[in-house]
Amino acid sequence: MTRLEASRALVAALGDEPIVASLGHPAYDLFAAGDRRANFYTWGSMGLASSLGLGLALARPALRVFVVDGDGSLLMNLGSLATIASTKPPNLVLIVWDNEEYGTTGGQATATAHGADLDAAARAMGIHATVTVRTEEGLRAAIVRARVDAGPWVIVAKVQESAPAVKPPLDCVFIKQRFMAAIGSAEPATRGTHQ
Amino acid sequence: MPDNPLSHVLNVIGAQFPDVHTTLATREEEAFGIAAGLYLGGARPTVMLQSSGLGNSLNALTSLLIPYQIPVLIVISMRGDEGEWNAAQVPMGRAIRPILDSMGIPHLTSDTADATADVVRIVGQTAFATRLPGACLLSRRLTVPPKVTT
Repeated sequence: MTRLEASRALVAALGDEPIVASLGHPAYDLFAAGDRRANFYTWGSMGLASSLGLGLALARPALRVFVVDGDGSLLMNLGSLATIASTKPPNLVLIVWDNEEYGTTGGQATATAHGADLDAAARAMGIHATVTVRTEEGLRAAIVRARVDAGPWVIVAKVQESAPAVKPPLDCVFIKQRFMAAIGSAEPATRGTHQ
Repeated sequence: MPDNPLSHVLNVIGAQFPDVHTTLATREEEAFGIAAGLYLGGARPTVMLQSSGLGNSLNALTSLLIPYQIPVLIVISMRGDEGEWNAAQVPMGRAIRPILDSMGIPHLTSDTADATADVVRIVGQTAFATRLPGACLLSRRLTVPPKVTT
């Protein structure tokens, strides 16, 4: 399955749960699969999508928080797996689109192309709900479980790179304010509300 | 983040402020990512770190918190200023204010215990009112008072 096909399967399987997307191709494909108010597209901060998801999951235990990360991005912030394991938010679902390359920056092979196993890394850190999927059917089944069963979840989805055709034509602050309103933590106006 | 003077603050928070939740991250940049996620969920986050760790945090600040206008109160325990014993801490200690200035992150320094509560309060209020991270620098004279011999 390509990352775009996987992104479409994810959006189709979810209701209005928030999705935090890592910068570059994961964010572009999430947008192409279906723009939603509860999509948070990052435009930078490579590696921090899982940390954003962790913070959101800790702040909002009643929300099931989904993250779409890349293998290269997660490798840039592997310590996040340790923090997720030690804080154990049951409502966090970290999905890694593992294409074994830095797809957004020219296709350099990542460590997962040489055998690094992010599912095993998550388990070694103490995250017990992990699964590696290689088909859309397997991905759908994993998402169905992760929407309901206690996490934190790490779903490593082996995908093929597929060059995105579009980028979200959305600015950072618009993305944030639309997202926060969608999940019930709308920002108040900055002017007129503070003395 | 791990830091000796801040560990005392964490102990007091743990003992006396049950409505304040703390999380220990593995790296300063990660702490800013977690803080940004907390803010998206409606919380008011603070990142507490040693000045050396600001160097680990610059991409999170410049490509996430500042462009998305995500406010965080930053409490920085200084190394490398007056009273420092470790030469490896000095370059970042001297650079930290120009780095904050160049990112447009406002900062105030507290040198005395009496002033600290006011400094933290005003920096935090300004950060959340204007949606820009703001930093309080706790000088080493405050956190590790020099021993005076008479």
